[in-house]
Amino acid sequence: MNKETDFKRFLKLDLLPTPWCPGCGNGIVLKTICQVFDELDMPMKGTVVVSGIGCAGRSAGFFNLDSVHTAHGRAIPVAEGIKYANEALNVVVVSGDGDLLGIGGNHLLHAIRRKTDITVICYANEIYGMTGGQASPITPHNIKTLTTPDGNPDYPTDVQPLFRHNNSYFARTTAYHLNHMKKCIREALKFKGFSFVEVRTMCIVNYGRRLGYKNSNEMLLHYKEFYKINDSAGELAGNEIGIVKGLSQITDDR
Amino acid sequence: MQKQLLQGNQAIVMAAEAAGLKFFAGYPITPASEILHEMVSRKDIMVLQMEDEIASINAVIGASLAGLKVMTATSGPGFSLMQESIGLAHMMEVPLVIVNVQRVGPSTGMPTLPAQGDVIQCIHGSHGDYFPIVFYPNSVSELYTYTIMAFNAAEESMSPVILLSDGYISHLYETIVPHRDVEIRERSRLPLGMSNRHFTGLSHEDSMPKTSDVDNYRRLIAHLYEKQQVTARQYNHYEYRQCRKETDTLLIAYGALSRAAYYFKDDCALYRPVRIFPVVEEVKSIAPQYKRILVMEMNKGQYAHEIERILHREVECIPILGGRIDLDEIKQEIRQKMYE
Repeated sequence: MNKETDFKRFLKLDLLPTPWCPGCGNGIVLKTICQVFDELDMPMKGTVVVSGIGCAGRSAGFFNLDSVHTAHGRAIPVAEGIKYANEALNVVVVSGDGDLLGIGGNHLLHAIRRKTDITVICYANEIYGMTGGQASPITPHNIKTLTTPDGNPDYPTDVQPLFRHNNSYFARTTAYHLNHMKKCIREALKFKGFSFVEVRTMCIVNYGRRLGYKNSNEMLLHYKEFYKINDSAGELAGNEIGIVKGLSQITDDR
Repeated sequence: MQKQLLQGNQAIVMAAEAAGLKFFAGYPITPASEILHEMVSRKDIMVLQMEDEIASINAVIGASLAGLKVMTATSGPGFSLMQESIGLAHMMEVPLVIVNVQRVGPSTGMPTLPAQGDVIQCIHGSHGDYFPIVFYPNSVSELYTYTIMAFNAAEESMSPVILLSDGYISHLYETIVPHRDVEIRERSRLPLGMSNRHFTGLSHEDSMPKTSDVDNYRRLIAHLYEKQQVTARQYNHYEYRQCRKETDTLLIAYGALSRAAYYFKDDCALYRPVRIFPVVEEVKSIAPQYKRILVMEMNKGQYAHEIERILHREVECIPILGGRIDLDEIKQEIRQKMYE
């Protein structure tokens, strides 16, 4: 195998293709996570991936590692149980915004407080994709979805202040900014403490189509135009991507 | 071992430690909180006070998959919250022990008073078909013994096992001899981080999701059922006392209330299941000798329905509600049923 494709050792290739729709951004994130795993040479034995329910939740099964696919919203407490039971394990949570911020919001809040040394990667597609396109906790204001036919009356939640105030790691990136995504995930995995990476990723079938995007590429290009990299900011604005850290420093002693 | 004066909840903690408990996650709730309090003083047990019962059971699922013996303890309202993940643990075949110290419900009910209202919730609380093993001891000494058995049954069946208690026996102080003569079963599965297995709540085959194969799902459920039955047969625990007098009445009671039932040993035969689910088959051979079967319990007849279902005959139910175990009241109820 050449260096370019070494990341494939982290995937159960015989299970491909995935159940995700054509044009879905989840595959980009899945591949990038594996590339970072490869880059950091994460131990195949000694790394555990945990996920919740939903499109993103299915990704745990595709890792060629021990993985746990839990109930809706419960990936974080299961991951915490694993980490506390065996500190030597690298525990990574992969799940969607509905799962982590909606039904699992309370667990997120308290995991930040406990500073459990796990990394959470959130596939933030702003919609409940698997159930057909209902509003999620980060669906923007005034956007029409299945459950907000007159436009979303609510404003999206922003969890980054929680991380700032608890000396934890928060990063926002997108499926378009591949190198930036790699950097965010890499630093999150190296971070000693609770780290959270929000990856804006596209759901063309149950979201983008209704927003007027003709195809997933067009939706992806929106991320290119809309999001600006601002890595030095202490706080990210709605259209900024970057890394926000609390007072703790990134350590390389993994 | 020396005799010790212990509270029911303390006995559970001592037994869990003896059985090899290494991880406990819980959320405070009356009348189960003493278990959490007692746990934090144990040096070799990792204790997490989680944000709620949902987080507690999920944390113990994670820790169990990571190779540790785990337990959580709660009461009715918390047990209700745990139900979805109990189903998950059955599907993923995760050994763990859940202690439910029952109080009066529904809802917040009467937090300090005992009840037996969660009996059916144990077996039908979560969605879908699953077949838990449930123990319900009736003394501090039995709480000790059956906590160890619950851990063993969990390891043997690779599934959640429920230990029922109630505000009465969990808060009772009795002298017991904490014995360690039961063989302790060890984990038979590799902990997480050793291979590339996938654990999922979806219908699966060889641990990989298989969500549209009907035959596979049927095989999976048959496997879960068979596994529980085989394990349950190792724990056919019940107590049967024939009456010295001729009697045509069999009085069935369990848990706290069975202690009051002993008072009627001269009036009728007594049967007390300890492993209450799956229902011990022996009751089928005991029951036909009696014309009248009375089931006395601190709910509106939850176990009576199960007994009826197993025996294919009508039984009479004596519900003792609201947490008051008053002998005069019970005497009146039983005499009325026996001689009416």
